[in-house]
Amino acid sequence: MIEILFYILSTITLGSAALTVLSKNPIHSALWLVVSFFSLAGHYILLNSQFLGMVHIMVYSGAIMILMLFTIMLMNLNISHEVSKPFITKLVATVAFCLIGILMLSIVMRGAQTYDLQYATSGQDFQSAHVLGKILLNEYVMPFEMVAVLLLLAMIGAVLISKKDKTEKGA
Amino acid sequence: MNTLIAIGVLAVLVLIAEIINLRKLVIPMTIIGLVGILGYTVCNIDVEVSYYNNMFITKKFSNAFSSLFIALTIFLVALSKDFYQKEFSKISDYISLKLFLLMGAICMVSFGNMAMFFLGLEILSITLYILCGSDRANIKSNEAAMKYFLLGSFASGIVLFGIALVYGATASFDISEIITITSQGTLPIWYSLGVVMIIIGMLFKIAAVPFHFWAPDVYQGAPTLTTAMMSTLVKVTAVATLFKLSFHLLRQMPEGYITAIVVIAILTMTVGNIMALRQENMKRLLAYSGISHAGFMMMALTALNTSAANLFYYATAYAIAGIAAFTVLMAVTKGKENQLIQSFSGLGKRNPLMAIVLSIALLSMGGIPIFAGFFGKFFLFSEAISKGFITLVIFGVINSFISIYYYLKVIIVMFTNNDETAEETALSIPLSYKIVGVLAVAINIIIGLCPSILLNIFQ
Repeated sequence: MIEILFYILSTITLGSAALTVLSKNPIHSALWLVVSFFSLAGHYILLNSQFLGMVHIMVYSGAIMILMLFTIMLMNLNISHEVSKPFITKLVATVAFCLIGILMLSIVMRGAQTYDLQYATSGQDFQSAHVLGKILLNEYVMPFEMVAVLLLLAMIGAVLISKKDKTEKGA
Repeated sequence: MNTLIAIGVLAVLVLIAEIINLRKLVIPMTIIGLVGILGYTVCNIDVEVSYYNNMFITKKFSNAFSSLFIALTIFLVALSKDFYQKEFSKISDYISLKLFLLMGAICMVSFGNMAMFFLGLEILSITLYILCGSDRANIKSNEAAMKYFLLGSFASGIVLFGIALVYGATASFDISEIITITSQGTLPIWYSLGVVMIIIGMLFKIAAVPFHFWAPDVYQGAPTLTTAMMSTLVKVTAVATLFKLSFHLLRQMPEGYITAIVVIAILTMTVGNIMALRQENMKRLLAYSGISHAGFMMMALTALNTSAANLFYYATAYAIAGIAAFTVLMAVTKGKENQLIQSFSGLGKRNPLMAIVLSIALLSMGGIPIFAGFFGKFFLFSEAISKGFITLVIFGVINSFISIYYYLKVIIVMFTNNDETAEETALSIPLSYKIVGVLAVAINIIIGLCPSILLNIFQ
């Protein structure tokens, strides 16, 4: 049952990802990306991490997609007038991508270990927000604080770039 | 750890100073604060502690490099007042961003956990993207920020993928745990793939040769003070992090790895120098010379156990000379569209002090004795020879010769009189530029005369 579900989800993920790259209209691309993100969240849930799946839907399928669609519409990119790249560039990019894909695939296929998670016997619900919060604020409290610094400086940067200059006219 | 917290507090204080309208206090306060923090860090240079479950580990290596970063930031902050004269209302944003960047840099050399390493890297890069694009009315600055952002985020993605693969092989983010696991049994094959991806991402950050294409454009387009920061503070940070990562992660690597590093180092030195020969723009010239210096610093990767002190010495010499060179560049090309080498002509007459500072900085980068750059190269070369990398050293020596040619080209332009173009008016240089330039050159000569000041730290 789960295996069938996995194959269906994988087909959707890969198919919509391919359509994201291939479709000419940027808005169509963005919408296919939404489908791809949703099916990725499905994979998380299949792997028994519901919390991560929900966060993925909220952050990626929700917030980031809205941002992307807004950008596309504001910048008026929906008419595709991009310059088509020379054939040789496309060829090289495809070959390079395929080589990396083959490398990854062969390495993953060679991996023989199976990790025994002992999920049932540990008696702890790994996927819950409870456990996650404890780890985040005990073991990983310093990276947590550094993320705060990162967000703060990103905000300062946004203010800096959009601040009105006194000398600039009509900005 | 206290260093990191103090810098964070200082950055927040800078932001508060803007709220209560004390913008004039920002720079003096930051400089005094940083000098205090520098003193604290130098006094505790031997203290080796790990904080918060090994998230942050202070060692001699990380303390020494943190002190260097703080010192460089003091110089860069001191230059800010006159550089940002026109947009003084934004001064506290600029200064606090520089302080946050310093925090990222310190995280990158003192991490004990891959999560901290990646966050440090991101803090550093995102601050730089912002600073590159901060001159938003200038199309070149926009181009630089966009280029750097796209390529840099791609490199960060590769680093992250590498970290994920290393996690997949060892089931840990913790450096000491990774070391125990890697020094015991055999590892899955994707461990080395992950390490190679992390190294590739870092090679992008130091602008080593197959990944160097962004550097000249970004250096040219960014505001000059940001370029100064990128070519001194950020480059040194990236090299130190590359060294630390290689030191900790390179176990059970394939045979060819060290050959690849040697080839990349040779290519980086050679391509950087040969491209620099043809540059008309001073910023591009310094960008290419920075690429070749990254190649020299990569020599330290061939002797991971013994060359930490040599790398630190070279990095200090290079960064201090870079600060001096960029100070003069900023003073001379202030308010000009381009930073052509021609604009330096007759500087020897217009302002002898600045001309001498720039000459010493360039001669030090080229590796003329007495100045620190020579001894930096000397130590790295002799270390590489003792490890048997003769080809690498031969290429290094050839490249030093090439680099002296284009450094001397600039110096000749400064001291020859071509009467048609030379502006006879004496150049007025702000006091802060003079102080920073003279101080940087003085430090350069002092550590050139007694290298043991820095080398003894690591013993």
